Amino acid sequence: MANLKETILNPILKGNPITVLVLGICSSLAVTVQLKGACVMALSVIAVTGLSSLVVSLLRNTIPNRVRIIVQLVVVAMMVILVDQILKAFAYDVDKQLSVYIGLIITNCIVMGRIEAFALGNKPIPSLLDGLANGFGYGLILVIVAFFRELLGSGTIFGLQVLPAGYVPNNLVILPPFALILLGCIIWVHRACDKDLQEK
Amino acid sequence: MNTNSNVYTIIYTTVIVVVVAAVLAFVSTSLKPMQNANIKAETLSQMMTAAGLGSKEDFSKMGNDGVLGTYSENIEQAFTVNLAGERTGELKTAKDEIELIDNLKPQNKAILAAGEPQLPVYKFKSGVTVVPVYGAGLWGPIWGYIALEEDLKTIAGAYFDHDSETPGLGAKIKDEPSFKAQFEGKVFNLENPSNPFDIVKGGAPEGAMDKIDAISGATMTCNGLNQAIDIWIGAYANYFSKAAAAQAETTEEE
Repeated sequence: MANLKETILNPILKGNPITVLVLGICSSLAVTVQLKGACVMALSVIAVTGLSSLVVSLLRNTIPNRVRIIVQLVVVAMMVILVDQILKAFAYDVDKQLSVYIGLIITNCIVMGRIEAFALGNKPIPSLLDGLANGFGYGLILVIVAFFRELLGSGTIFGLQVLPAGYVPNNLVILPPFALILLGCIIWVHRACDKDLQEK
Repeated sequence: MNTNSNVYTIIYTTVIVVVVAAVLAFVSTSLKPMQNANIKAETLSQMMTAAGLGSKEDFSKMGNDGVLGTYSENIEQAFTVNLAGERTGELKTAKDEIELIDNLKPQNKAILAAGEPQLPVYKFKSGVTVVPVYGAGLWGPIWGYIALEEDLKTIAGAYFDHDSETPGLGAKIKDEPSFKAQFEGKVFNLENPSNPFDIVKGGAPEGAMDKIDAISGATMTCNGLNQAIDIWIGAYANYFSKAAAAQAETTEEE
């Protein structure tokens, strides 16, 4: 059980895909202007990483080694298209707002990275948890970044005005470079708190 | 079993691909009606935004049902015309069976060149008439809805959307309110149907009623939009002239 706990907690804290492994940076810059979009993106990535890890893990003993990357890609692509289709049917506005970035989950290094590193060599249940936890670790950072960007860039949270009407929205915050600055700060804080992450 | 033999690999990949294709086909088919309903509501809300019946945010809060209801309450009549400007058919406007012609997007020039296109005209109770324009941007299709005053050449409002233009540059045709605002009050030059409107790089001359400023850094998108407007408003030119003349006559008789 201790091992399972480790599987779940590690991707969220010590092995966070964004702040420690520095994977998935691109989409975390692109979809964090508003919290709503970031939340949907986070949920989509959690679903994709979890389910594709589960499926690949179920198939792991049958996959021919020479074409394993292609088989993984087919599975991931299927999951991403499913998520996109479902969003188009049930959350059309958000899907339009996220536009190409839902499709680009396929190219998110976290998904393939976890499948190669974990799901191919582990049983289905731990693989599912590992996928979900990695998606969650990614989503958590996304939501933190989006919180600050929406608050300072538009003065709103989930579209509701929270800062006084006199607040002049900061345009720099809306632009992608600020997400990178914010991400740098998060990595800084994360490393300062966790001594194990500091280089000697 | 040897999972690395050629035969195994080929059979395995074939089976995987067929299974995945089947799953996707099934999901796509079963979700299609809901997706189409969303697209229809989106199209209607864009038309009504152009017609000045509310903002995009108002409509997205309303939900699909509210949008369909608002449309059928506010529409006076919807019909199709041909290139000569004659009416060719009616489009239903009752809430449960709203008909739209929105299959023109991919065809654009081809449909206009191929003879007798059915051009949709949406006439709202407030007096404005909305017509669509379709064209090619830099990365993908762009389209929009232009609302005209009762004289059928003065622009009352416009709404543009795009598939994949660059955010911050080409995407401004949708996101920049001041770009859309430029259209209001401008007049189409219908005497020159091949070029009724211009989006000018480097600033439109002051007082030019059929010209507006382009967006910096979005030359290709603006050119595409300009072309879309020229092609489509050109296609409607006969209808606009005829309908405006007919309207002038009825007003005189009164």
